[in-house]
Amino acid sequence: MPNASSTLAAPSRETTTRQPTSRRTRRIAAALALVVGALVVALFPSMAPNAYILSAGVVVLSYACTATSWNFMGGFTGYISLGHAAYFGLGAYGTGIIIRELELPSFVAWALAGVVVAIITVPIGIAALRVRGASFVIVSISFVLILLLVFQGWGSFTGGSNGLVVPRPFPDLMRPEHHRVFFYLFAALLAVMLVLWWAIDRSRFGIGLKAIREDEDKAEALGIPTRNYKLVAYVVSATLTGLAGGMYALWFGDLDPIFQFSILLGSYMVLMALLGGIRNLFGPLVGAVIVGVALEVFKLEFGDTQFHLVATGLLLGLVVLFMPDGIIPAVQAGLRRLGPQSSSIREMTASELAERNAAAGINGDSVFSGGPAAREQSPDPAVARHAGGPTPAPEEER
Amino acid sequence: MTGSLLVQSLILGVLLGGLYALLAAGLTLYFGVMRVVMIAHSAFLILAAYLAWYANSKLGIDPLLTLVVTVPLFFGVGVVMQRLLIRRLRPATLTMMSVLLTFAIALFIEGLIGFVWGGTQRRTQLPYSSSSLEIFGARIAVVKLIAFGLAALSLLALYLLMKHTRFGQALRATIQHPEAAQLVGIKTDRVAGLGFGLGLATAALGGTALSLDATIYPSLHWHWIGPLMAIIVVGGLGSIPGAAIAALVLGVGQSLLQVPLGTTWAQTIFYVALFVTLMVRPQGFFGGRLAQRF
Repeated sequence: MPNASSTLAAPSRETTTRQPTSRRTRRIAAALALVVGALVVALFPSMAPNAYILSAGVVVLSYACTATSWNFMGGFTGYISLGHAAYFGLGAYGTGIIIRELELPSFVAWALAGVVVAIITVPIGIAALRVRGASFVIVSISFVLILLLVFQGWGSFTGGSNGLVVPRPFPDLMRPEHHRVFFYLFAALLAVMLVLWWAIDRSRFGIGLKAIREDEDKAEALGIPTRNYKLVAYVVSATLTGLAGGMYALWFGDLDPIFQFSILLGSYMVLMALLGGIRNLFGPLVGAVIVGVALEVFKLEFGDTQFHLVATGLLLGLVVLFMPDGIIPAVQAGLRRLGPQSSSIREMTASELAERNAAAGINGDSVFSGGPAAREQSPDPAVARHAGGPTPAPEEER
Repeated sequence: MTGSLLVQSLILGVLLGGLYALLAAGLTLYFGVMRVVMIAHSAFLILAAYLAWYANSKLGIDPLLTLVVTVPLFFGVGVVMQRLLIRRLRPATLTMMSVLLTFAIALFIEGLIGFVWGGTQRRTQLPYSSSSLEIFGARIAVVKLIAFGLAALSLLALYLLMKHTRFGQALRATIQHPEAAQLVGIKTDRVAGLGFGLGLATAALGGTALSLDATIYPSLHWHWIGPLMAIIVVGGLGSIPGAAIAALVLGVGQSLLQVPLGTTWAQTIFYVALFVTLMVRPQGFFGGRLAQRF
């Protein structure tokens, strides 16, 4: 997500000289943060004091995978799906059933389950994406409920309420070693997702998706094939969620329809992504670490009571009411206020801008005097650029 | 399927459809006045059922008497909810965010019920629980008839309120065209709050009716919200008659399918209907584009 200072490069001289340095420092900081984050992930298994902490780490990483894959749909297109648990469950059950029926190696079955999820998602996506807003959410929830009914009712195939046992891929590993291997597997999956999200974010396809998020009708009028774009995003998102589910099945080894097709799981994905910030690459990851750790602590402190539902509900409500953009944008805004004031078109009124342009000896009638109005229509500068915005915006950075 | 079994299924379907219709009318009201899909509707339904059960088992009061308390209480909660929570959301993302917000409320209520009364299944025991009537060779439990009567009376009252009072006119005007309603002097904000309260009051009524003959547990509301949302989409978002017709048709369908397929598979009729509707007629079968009519 581009920050405000990366909008339409301001014409005044002092900013054009200052910006490259501040951008370089920021890029170095981002690279450093990335390295530190990767190191933390790489070293966590050897630092974990016991197997329980390690398994909690695996759970948090699996949450991060689901939240990030959810964000392929929710973040880019703004379509909030409360039913992504359906694809998680399909991936998990698909992996288990393929291993049982076809007796394929575990990870071949896992990949095949991803393909199956993609194939199932296409007709569902076509139906669900015929409607916008409220109806889409209704359909997404219904799909989880219908799958819950099917997987509970069709006992001969899915194991029904008794659950399904998925054979372990590494039967000779001890439990802590098993956790360690899967910690790295989940981390690798997450890394692939993040790179893919980053690539889409910078592509023409991603810009089209973001245009849909900002204003679907205008995006369609501009010639973006909205239906196909949405469908592709939906299938990618669902498939990745399914892969995360399959990985979970291989790790955990025991599936129950109530837990795989639970609306709660889908709501966790939304909560994590919203909490971190759905417009940020690392937003869902940050949210998943916070919510995942909080959930584990809750389970330790309060045991099996229903209290975690109350806490989840409260947290989700607070995030929706007071922080719908997430933590990362809030922190970024705070940092920006501390640091040197960058000249951003967002923080200026049209008259201030005209004044400054006049002082800098630039004709006040330039495109920039139309800036605020144009920005209002599409808050995302990348969209403005796509729509024929005045200047090529500088590269996005995080 | 024998004749009496068919009749029995039909009657049970109509009785169930009546309850669905009342609850779907509430959901439609929220959507009409605020463009809000209220996921927490069925959580309030279960809350009302728990309150009725609690009053009955602890104080020995007939569940129907709890209506005196729960209906005004829920009405107030609805008004407060609209004023303090829903209205704070940004208009641009209201529909999506309201879904999340009401979803959070649903989780909160479910957790609270489990926290206070535990996760075990509860059932109200009444002196007339086991008595039944015989109609055309079909045995129908009296409690089911009472529940249907309550739902039908409430729907009738709602209809009269909407059609024949000044408040009802204001409410319909707000649903049809908020800006125009403001121009003729309707305080749409206040009306929307009251409409929200009215919707939640239907949850109190439905919950009390439900407590008469259903086994209740905290996570039951997920089994209700799915069918209810399917009903309002099939009926056309915002159309109360559409919701009522879809509720009756699907309720009877579910009841008829229960005989050959069993309870679990019969429930899927709602979701099948939902997907077929979206494929064939995304705006629903009875609704206009939005809440264009009553």
